[in-house]
Amino acid sequence: MTYEESLKQLEELVRQMEAGNYSIDQLAEKLTQAQQLISQCKEKLYKTDSEIKKILEKS
Amino acid sequence: MDALSLIELNSMVRHVIERSMGREYWVEAELSECRENRGHCFMELIQKDEHSNTPIARASAKCWQSTWGMLGPYFERTTGQPLHAGLKVRLQVYPQFHEAYGFSWIITDIDPTFTLGDMARRRQEIIRQLKEEGVFDLQKELSLPLFCQNIAVITSQTAAGYGDFVNQLADSPYDFHTQLFPAIMQGEQVEQSVISALNQIYELYTLNSQFDCVVIIRGGGATADMSGFDALDLAENVAQFPLPIITGIGHDRDECILDMVSHVRVKTPTAAAQFLISHLDITSQRIDTCAEHINTFFSLLKTREEARIDKLSSYLPILISHLFEREQHRLEMLEQRAKALDPAILFKRGYSMTLHNGHLLRNAADVKPGTELETRLEQGTIISIAK
Repeated sequence: MTYEESLKQLEELVRQMEAGNYSIDQLAEKLTQAQQLISQCKEKLYKTDSEIKKILEKS
Repeated sequence: MDALSLIELNSMVRHVIERSMGREYWVEAELSECRENRGHCFMELIQKDEHSNTPIARASAKCWQSTWGMLGPYFERTTGQPLHAGLKVRLQVYPQFHEAYGFSWIITDIDPTFTLGDMARRRQEIIRQLKEEGVFDLQKELSLPLFCQNIAVITSQTAAGYGDFVNQLADSPYDFHTQLFPAIMQGEQVEQSVISALNQIYELYTLNSQFDCVVIIRGGGATADMSGFDALDLAENVAQFPLPIITGIGHDRDECILDMVSHVRVKTPTAAAQFLISHLDITSQRIDTCAEHINTFFSLLKTREEARIDKLSSYLPILISHLFEREQHRLEMLEQRAKALDPAILFKRGYSMTLHNGHLLRNAADVKPGTELETRLEQGTIISIAK
């Protein structure tokens, strides 16, 4: 899945959540999924990940 | 017949020309060559057939240092570019035939507005052609990926603009990857040089799609030669390129054709970097908005569910006490009914009951004479024999 797809999936998930389309039982699973998508997208966007890689390469 | 020496013959030509064409003329022609040497400017003028494009007239022209020292900078200031091959020019000239160097037009004035007009006409012609080919707006139909982070940069490696661009991206919080494709950004080689850089990017892109967009930037003064960016071939290449192209070629005059066909046009390399950063800001905001919505949703959900539970838990004792009361009432009713059925009460009122072998008797016909019967009373029991 590309990051672009991840972000779109995340937005859809939030929409479904707010529309009340998930049961309480499903919500925990959906929340985990949403948090994974958020961190995945942010990691791609910001320098953290690649900076760590650069530091590891130097050492 | 006596033959003339060459210098005698050439002198005759010179005299004829000086006598019959001893004034100045304005001439319109195209430059096929133009070079400066020791402050003088040497040109080749050409006129091409309108249809076949083959030369139908040709002549050398010279502008001596004393005149060129003024005309050269004047032309460049007015048109935004130095005199160079390919331009159409209107020149004031007088003829000169030198016995040793041959024929040449000597330039005394130049009309840059004619060149400007011709450039504008050519630009219009290129725009018309691009529209006719249906490629003029193609770049506008592309969209930048949300995560636009891998940037192919076309510029001159030594240009300050490139450094500004890369530094600006590096100062942002985002993870950009840039790859330089060096090109000549000034003068006559611009067109071919930029096209060949685009071709390199295209090859890499078709191999592994490693770029999200292309940036063509150029730092520097507004008076530099921009004509290369108005070329048809380059415009066609840019317009039909599969990746969005952002131009920031820094100039003051109206858009050049390259700007018109690109996906987005900004003024400077720094502005191009700023544009890319803002684009990621929007993506980042979308992620943050999702996170905020999730937080709000869960805190609302929590409050709502807590309220539900609270309501239930405070209702529960009331419900239970109601249930208790009801059960108690039922029990009491049952007790009363049970009491009403208690034979001891009947005995008290004087009733008795008769049993045979421990079974209650209800019908006298069930009793045969001689059967032993047991009759219970409030106080005591009577054993009797039936007759």
